[in-house]
Amino acid sequence: MSIIIISADDRAAEGQIGGRTAEILGYGRLGPELLQEIAAKYGVEEGKLAEALEREPSLLRGMPPKKWYYYLSCIEAEVLERLAADKMVCWSLAAHLYVLGISHALRVRIISDIEQRAAALAEENGISLQRAQKILAKQQRQRVQWCQTAYGQDETDPALYDLVINLGQIDPDEAAATIAKAVGYRKFEPMTYSRKCLANLLLAAKVKTRLLETMSDIHVQSRDGRVVVTTKALKRDKQKKTLAIKELAGSVEGVDFVEVHINNDIFSEAAQSLR
Amino acid sequence: MSERLDILLLDDEPIVGKRLKPALEKIGCRVEVFENPVEAMARLEKKKFDIVVTDIRMDEMDGLQVLERVLDKWPETKVIMITGYAMMALARESMEKGAFDFIAKPFRPDDLRRVIAKAAKALGSPIDFTPAGRA
Repeated sequence: MSIIIISADDRAAEGQIGGRTAEILGYGRLGPELLQEIAAKYGVEEGKLAEALEREPSLLRGMPPKKWYYYLSCIEAEVLERLAADKMVCWSLAAHLYVLGISHALRVRIISDIEQRAAALAEENGISLQRAQKILAKQQRQRVQWCQTAYGQDETDPALYDLVINLGQIDPDEAAATIAKAVGYRKFEPMTYSRKCLANLLLAAKVKTRLLETMSDIHVQSRDGRVVVTTKALKRDKQKKTLAIKELAGSVEGVDFVEVHINNDIFSEAAQSLR
Repeated sequence: MSERLDILLLDDEPIVGKRLKPALEKIGCRVEVFENPVEAMARLEKKKFDIVVTDIRMDEMDGLQVLERVLDKWPETKVIMITGYAMMALARESMEKGAFDFIAKPFRPDDLRRVIAKAAKALGSPIDFTPAGRA
């Protein structure tokens, strides 16, 4: 059975269609409710996880980049863990930005009529239509920036998806029925290759999360238990950091071999040489 | 279908057949190995195999053509694609055209044996397969 990942420019529509699709297919639901479980598991605040999914890091708001990346990594690892079980519909957890190259993942983008959304927002908050339009345009800009900073992706790019549905033309129930039908196409069936790709993403996310607990600027790739970690360090700290990474990454279940690539942290070295 | 599974293994790299033939015979399969897709297709014209394992990128005929021709002639045969050039689009195309499974090279003999066991079950002729662990 396959997995479905839904992304929308309207959070409410995302949840409504995600939930309805899961109901039609009898699949599990993977939505923002998962954050509570993740918060408990990692001993972090649920509100901080939700904030990390919505906003970029900011020292003023008490969300330094190091923490921000760690929170996102916790979410990613837990979402991937659950997706590996198959038969899941996932939304509002940014999975469309990190579940890439998985052939049995049907990726859906839901777009809504911006004018309708602005009218609804204006009515709901007793503001002018023009003001509502400005608010939505600002939210959209911030979202594009967030996607870029967090995952280097543009979520509004239709090429990222297998199916794009316009709620201006198709109602939510019909959208859910369309998604449920599309996932039945044989090309979205899981296979040994796609399951392995997902397992590789999961292992990389687990290792990244373990390392980001104490380190920053960590990139991880994995294949069949072999893990490659890339990071930066001062020349004099290279050996120490390599050993620390090997020990931490090696302690993650499923890791057989760890390769570490350390690039020179030229900015820190330049700063040190000026002292 | 006879008691033992008949498998046709097609890969233009001789090492693949050399390595996988004994691995599959260990679980009780009868295996014929081909390095040339044209010769493999000639054999398939004469004999029905339960399972065909084929590489995708080959000269003369690619694995997707093999898949289509096998399923045309023997719709019940399970075709397993193996490739060193695995990509999502190719994987999806293979599944859409009727492949039973798709495996990226390099893989362990147990990975293929596991898929063969799954195919045997789907054919209604389950075989005993216990993973031997990592090679």
